[in-house]
Amino acid sequence: MQQDQGGWIQRLLRSSSEHGGALLGLVIAAGLLGLPSLVFGADVAPAAPTEYRDIPYVGSRNVIWVIAQLHLLLAGFVLGVPMFAWVCEVVAWRGGEKRYDKLAKEFTKLLTSAYSTTALFGGILLFLLIAFYPKLMNYLTDIFFPSFIVYCILFLVETATLYLYWYGWDAMQYGGKKTFHIFLGFMLNFFAFFIMIIPNSWATFQSSPVVIAEGTDLARAWAATWNPTWWPVNIHRIIANVVLGGYICGAYAGIRYLSAKTPEERDHYDWMGYVGNFIGVFGLLALPFAGYWLMREIYQYNQQMGITLMGGFLSWLFILQAMLIGVLFLGSNYYFWLGITYRIPGSALKYRRPMLAMLVVLLLCLAVWMTPHSLVASLEEAAKMGGSHHPLLGVLGVMSAKMTVSNLMILVTFMSFIMYWRAGKQDTAGWAKIAKAIMGAILVLAGIAVIILGVWGYFVPAIIRINYFSTSQVLIVIGVMLTITPLTALLLKSAKTTTEMVWGKMPPRAGYSLVLNAVMVILLMTLMGYARSSSRVHWHVYGVVRDTSQYAFSPALGYASGIMALCTFFFCMIVAFIFWVATMGDKAKVATTSPSKGELPHGMPAMAGASSALDKPEERKF
Amino acid sequence: MGNIIKKLVIGLVVGGALFLLSRWQEFPFVFQVVFFGHAMFGAAVFMLLDAPSVRTMGAVKSTIAIVVFYVVLCTVFVAGASMWPQFDPEDEKGKIAKLLAPKRAATEQGKAEELIARTKALDEQVKALEVRLRTLGADQSVVKQMPVGDAPPVVAKAPTGDFMKIGEEQWQLHECYNCHKLKGEGGKKRGPELDNIGSYLTAAEIKQKIFNPKSYMAEGFEKEWEKGKMPDKFKDVMEDSDAMALATWLSTFKNTSVNTPKPIKKL
Repeated sequence: MQQDQGGWIQRLLRSSSEHGGALLGLVIAAGLLGLPSLVFGADVAPAAPTEYRDIPYVGSRNVIWVIAQLHLLLAGFVLGVPMFAWVCEVVAWRGGEKRYDKLAKEFTKLLTSAYSTTALFGGILLFLLIAFYPKLMNYLTDIFFPSFIVYCILFLVETATLYLYWYGWDAMQYGGKKTFHIFLGFMLNFFAFFIMIIPNSWATFQSSPVVIAEGTDLARAWAATWNPTWWPVNIHRIIANVVLGGYICGAYAGIRYLSAKTPEERDHYDWMGYVGNFIGVFGLLALPFAGYWLMREIYQYNQQMGITLMGGFLSWLFILQAMLIGVLFLGSNYYFWLGITYRIPGSALKYRRPMLAMLVVLLLCLAVWMTPHSLVASLEEAAKMGGSHHPLLGVLGVMSAKMTVSNLMILVTFMSFIMYWRAGKQDTAGWAKIAKAIMGAILVLAGIAVIILGVWGYFVPAIIRINYFSTSQVLIVIGVMLTITPLTALLLKSAKTTTEMVWGKMPPRAGYSLVLNAVMVILLMTLMGYARSSSRVHWHVYGVVRDTSQYAFSPALGYASGIMALCTFFFCMIVAFIFWVATMGDKAKVATTSPSKGELPHGMPAMAGASSALDKPEERKF
Repeated sequence: MGNIIKKLVIGLVVGGALFLLSRWQEFPFVFQVVFFGHAMFGAAVFMLLDAPSVRTMGAVKSTIAIVVFYVVLCTVFVAGASMWPQFDPEDEKGKIAKLLAPKRAATEQGKAEELIARTKALDEQVKALEVRLRTLGADQSVVKQMPVGDAPPVVAKAPTGDFMKIGEEQWQLHECYNCHKLKGEGGKKRGPELDNIGSYLTAAEIKQKIFNPKSYMAEGFEKEWEKGKMPDKFKDVMEDSDAMALATWLSTFKNTSVNTPKPIKKL
């Protein structure tokens, strides 16, 4: 046997000398094939999975920040515009004013391109998140996988509904078809709402996570979805989207108004600016309530997070927020006052005093809202004041004062709107005097009650102030709106119009004020995006997944404001591009059929979705 | 035009009065200016209400005007935000580094880094000794023969003082002062004052409370206890030794003049 073996080895060696190259090749091949087994067999720990990737110079966080913010703003626009369009369509359907239908169509036209741009940014964001934050994304996917599927299905349904809604606009104009079209618009908003709240659950989970260790995938996903800040954010965002949609519409109208060449165009865009501002203000009045609820839920969920936001290192952010909201309120009121002055001839003198009074109240309220809790002072100045809190203004830097003035600002803005509504009309109803007296009394009493509750709030424990006093202030203001609006509507039903509203006479600064409002809203949204993200401090998922990247820290406010301004600029550019693309075809159409343009009612440009056929009552086929 | 001048004058008078009033009330100078600016801002809004209308522009000019307007708005916004007091991101970076240090040290990479750091420190010690011996006139070779193990230990075993320091650091790091008052600082509405906690609980019991907030309930804080106001995250985010350091540090507070509510054992 040994001889046999020896012979075998000798034969091999002899053979190797004869066919050395071939044997060497075989050995190398066998070695290569055997390499994986070496790896498996080796006692070497596998390389740890990549947690983060970065992009040089710019930084992964900045890229994600800008893309996420743009996606969010576009999403707000895409979800706000259908609401705006649908409301306008319903107004036209019920009231018979075709121009509202044209306005709705004009904005729905934007949706197809805006929708795809939003999806594009969503896709980019997803790729970047997977690339830059693979570990976090893996964790979130594990939890939210079931909702990913629902989200995809909703997207398919929403897209199909949008196509039907837009392409079926002209075909479904009359009778039962119009009703169906309205239903489609409703469904478009219905699906859009769910498309909004699903990603909201992912984002809010990061701030207020609910993690259950046991249960099915569905149970875990559901528990994580229904986290404490999910519904407050859902409501806050849906209102914010209405505000964004309204003000963007206003800004668009403002820009078109500034560059309008014909009186017809000026008429149309003046009116469109009014509608946009009205819808923006309508949402703005409710927004502080939703914001208050959100903050309350944050405090209830985690006081430390609430303190970080309102009293910690982010507290100065809220002074900036107050500044932006204050300017927004001033801008919106200013536009109403301009409307009274220029659209209703003769009203300027009558309403000058109330305007001045409202301006003073707004400025005082803004000053209080902007008052910081502790003043920035040198040591010498602080010694003079007796500390960082000024004895006079220290009391104005706390929530009780801020809640009071925000409610007063809402009341004033509501009064501006009512004033605008009533301007140029004379009451004829016999009960008008009593009704006006009741409305005046309600407003005055509500104002006094809000102030009393605000002052009283200093002398009760915080929990009573938050749960009862602040809530009562909100309810009082809502009560005023719900009482005075129908009462005014009833009064105006029988009122005589003394001065017809004149469109297209607003000065150019009206256009700028509309642009100002839109920029303020966008900046505000970017600011609050930063606040929401920074409130998690160095956590990806608060208290659960720690951010261990080099960008775990929160950037300073000045630096962040630069990124916010950049996001606002990019967003405005994208929206301008969408408007330009969407209206390109109309301009060409107008150019080829320019002789018939004059036939449109009020010279309505085709850009507004006008069609002479649609405006001839005899052709309506009910 | 006369109307605008009239409003401007009113604005200046109101602004000036506010400036003087705030000066008299000894507000910081920047706030005196803010008061004046606020009045002028209001006057500007009112002046703009019936200011003469400017001529309408063409499409290109109006676009440029809008862009300029946007740039002005954003410049004011960024400048305003930059002028507010800024928190220093370095503070948070330091805090994150401290929080991550124990976890990082526990990993293989962390251990290797610690070893490298210790070696470097030892090397520095040897070099320092070489220099010292050279100045004393000793032969370099003698130094080389000196065993490294004789060098003084680089990382001294944490004495009690350091342990207390770690405890205090943990108090700051986890921002316990947001809810608890101690040494006259911090909030006391959400959680009890702790200046006399050492008279009631031992270090081990305090640590138990930190890791399991339901284990003890402070008298008078029944609602807070029921609602689970004290976060139960610390067992996940704190190292055992850090929690012990914090508990030991807190157990040294035995100021009987402060009315720290009595803790009641619940679990």
